[in-house]
Amino acid sequence: MNGNIRTLLRLEIKNRFSNYSLTDFKSYLKLLFTIALLGAIIYAIYWVAGLFFEMFETGGMLYEALVLLVSAIFLFMLFTGISSTIKVLYYKGDNEILMRYPVSGAEVFISKTLFLFLSQFIVTTVVMAPFLVAYASVSGLGLAFYVKIPVPILLMVFINFFLSNILAIPIMHITNRIRNKFILIIIGLAVLVTAGFALYMLIFNSMVTYMNDTEFSVFSDEMVEIIENVAKWLIPAKYFADIMVGKELYIAYPALIGMLGLALIGMILIIYFLYAKTLLNNVEVEGSAFKHVTRNRRRPIFIALLRKEFLQVFRSVNYSFQYFVLACAMPVMVYFCNEITGRLGENQVGEQIALGMTVLVMLIFATVITSFAATSTSREGDNFYHTKVAPVSIRTQLFAKFTMFLLVSIGANAVCTVVLYFTKQVTLSDALWLFVIVELAAVAETLIAMRMDIAHPYFNLSGEGEVVNNNASTTLAVAMGFAVAVVTGIVCMFLGYLGNTGFTIDIPLTIMNREVGQIAFVPEYMYYAVTVMVVIFFIAAVLGYTIGLKKAYNKIAR
Amino acid sequence: MLEISHLYKKYLNSERFSVEDLSLSLKPGEIFGFLGQNGAGKSTTIKCLTGIYPFNSGSITICGYDIQKDPINAKLNMGYVPDNHSVYEKLTGREYVNYTADLYKVSKRDRNDRFDRYVSQFKLNKAVDSQIKSYSHGMKQKICIIAALIHNPKLWVLDEPMMGLDHQSMAEILKRMDDHCAEGNTVFFSSHNLDLVAKICDRAAIIRDGKLQDVIDLHIKGNKETLEKRFCEITATEQDIINERTLLRRG
Repeated sequence: MNGNIRTLLRLEIKNRFSNYSLTDFKSYLKLLFTIALLGAIIYAIYWVAGLFFEMFETGGMLYEALVLLVSAIFLFMLFTGISSTIKVLYYKGDNEILMRYPVSGAEVFISKTLFLFLSQFIVTTVVMAPFLVAYASVSGLGLAFYVKIPVPILLMVFINFFLSNILAIPIMHITNRIRNKFILIIIGLAVLVTAGFALYMLIFNSMVTYMNDTEFSVFSDEMVEIIENVAKWLIPAKYFADIMVGKELYIAYPALIGMLGLALIGMILIIYFLYAKTLLNNVEVEGSAFKHVTRNRRRPIFIALLRKEFLQVFRSVNYSFQYFVLACAMPVMVYFCNEITGRLGENQVGEQIALGMTVLVMLIFATVITSFAATSTSREGDNFYHTKVAPVSIRTQLFAKFTMFLLVSIGANAVCTVVLYFTKQVTLSDALWLFVIVELAAVAETLIAMRMDIAHPYFNLSGEGEVVNNNASTTLAVAMGFAVAVVTGIVCMFLGYLGNTGFTIDIPLTIMNREVGQIAFVPEYMYYAVTVMVVIFFIAAVLGYTIGLKKAYNKIAR
Repeated sequence: MLEISHLYKKYLNSERFSVEDLSLSLKPGEIFGFLGQNGAGKSTTIKCLTGIYPFNSGSITICGYDIQKDPINAKLNMGYVPDNHSVYEKLTGREYVNYTADLYKVSKRDRNDRFDRYVSQFKLNKAVDSQIKSYSHGMKQKICIIAALIHNPKLWVLDEPMMGLDHQSMAEILKRMDDHCAEGNTVFFSSHNLDLVAKICDRAAIIRDGKLQDVIDLHIKGNKETLEKRFCEITATEQDIINERTLLRRG
């Protein structure tokens, strides 16, 4: 490797990991925390993977489970590989800077390719390791299995790397074509997120069933047949699994080596004919801006503010995802979560806590969709001055932002409660009560998140004027929302249980010559208590938001 | 039109005043240049008078409306072009101008007239329905100017408007400044370009270390020619004077 390539590679690595430059105690602490978090995540994956394999082993399908898992990892690595290739090889800013240095295009390309390969190798190994260790322990293959796995992992890294390079350019062209079809993107993402979540919940559901009784298989005979048939056709993932378990090696090796050769040739051809052309054509910006012919139209001030806010979110894939996509997917997520957690709770305690579970689940999802409010001021970025120069009061401007959140949370909550009612998970009166309670909490959380952002805005924006990282207010808003959900949910479950089981307390007290005697809990107590709690939270949030708002806003950029 | 009286502004956590006891009075129909070195307090003064920054003491009135006591009416009479051309880049040029026009309650007829006039004057006809993020530096500056003028403000404030613009774009902006003043309005702009200020302004103020040093009437004979000399006299540091003397001694 020549000096230039080494320097460029080092630059690329430094650029990627600049957040972890070890300069002071705080940076060491941050690195340590990241490593500890990564370790915890890997262990959690290992534990879940072990359960997953045990569940399939009980159904006599351990090999099929490995094939399914390798397929999922193969696809995941292919998607991340394509995304990294596009970002590292073709995004213009970086290339423009590098081209000014006295280095050749080939050296830039080789250094970036090496970086991509190294990161692909590390990520594949880290992602696969906990699954493979879990497989080895469940299957009892032990050391023999570990000896065999480096070859398929290396093959997977190489094949994925070559395929990513082949697919990056066409995928860039396609994404540029659909980049400005915002409705299409939102619908597509909502469907993908919902489908992914539904699949996840189905697997989770099976695991819950399996955990309740580990002696019996959760798979029906038909299901076993379907999974076995599907696993047979999952090519090339099936071949990686074959090499790992030493099955039909005479087919697996030639097939994968053949595929490796073809992918390599394809990559060389693509790079030879299209790489330079693609860079020069700057395809990543081509079509990123669109033309939208409209007429001049007068709108009331509030509608103009609301419309601007909507367009700012709607025309950004990042913001749309955080805002609309999660709100669209929320009813499905709530339905599945509620069914499973409800069943879990009922099995352990009884159906008396079902409504409390529903409150908990709905409040958690309401938190997720309202946490975006914690960037409502920060998102103005360089345009923050507009809010100060405009002849419109700050309260009106902020109210327009709040209305956007309100409309989305009302829509999502309404659909959720309708779904819960029509799937007979709750009664009509409970559905109405749930809607009011969750909406009040969502409004309160939105106001608190907005106020936190006004107190500590974070104008760190990317090239297209978008907030690149969530600020501390977002983290705090999520933590607060989860805490509210847990406390409210537990109170609801606890009082619901006491009320529905006819629990009584003897109180040996006499007040004004009258014995208090006995308090018998009734289900209504739960409704009263939770309503009072949420109303207090709502009032506190409204007061916290309103008091000193103008002063806090004027303090920004002082 | 614009009255700044004994303005004091100190940033949070700052030891000294960025603007100190600054008073200015602008008349209708004049172009007023605001000169000073980097960090002299030009942008801070502009940000105070547009309502972006609060200030410690003094008062600013625009068309008789106090920016602190009656900010909405004061802002309704003012158009502002920032120095960084920041605009909502996800909107198209037309959407952005319409958004601004809505905030300033411009009637449909007025906005149509002005929009068409300015768009053709600044030659943005082809780009006006494209997203602003595809605009060049100069085009962004022009769309900022159109948005600032869409409500025909009595006071037009520009913070270093010519920075990074080509000759043609500068000429278009200067023409608009002239036209705006000819309609009885006032233009107040900050600049580093002494020649430009001498050429188009009726009066110019020089600020140094947050303090107003001089207001020069450029209609008085000889003032245009000596503006640069006066600016250098005011803004020169002791070190500059020593350097100059050394150079003179060396011949």
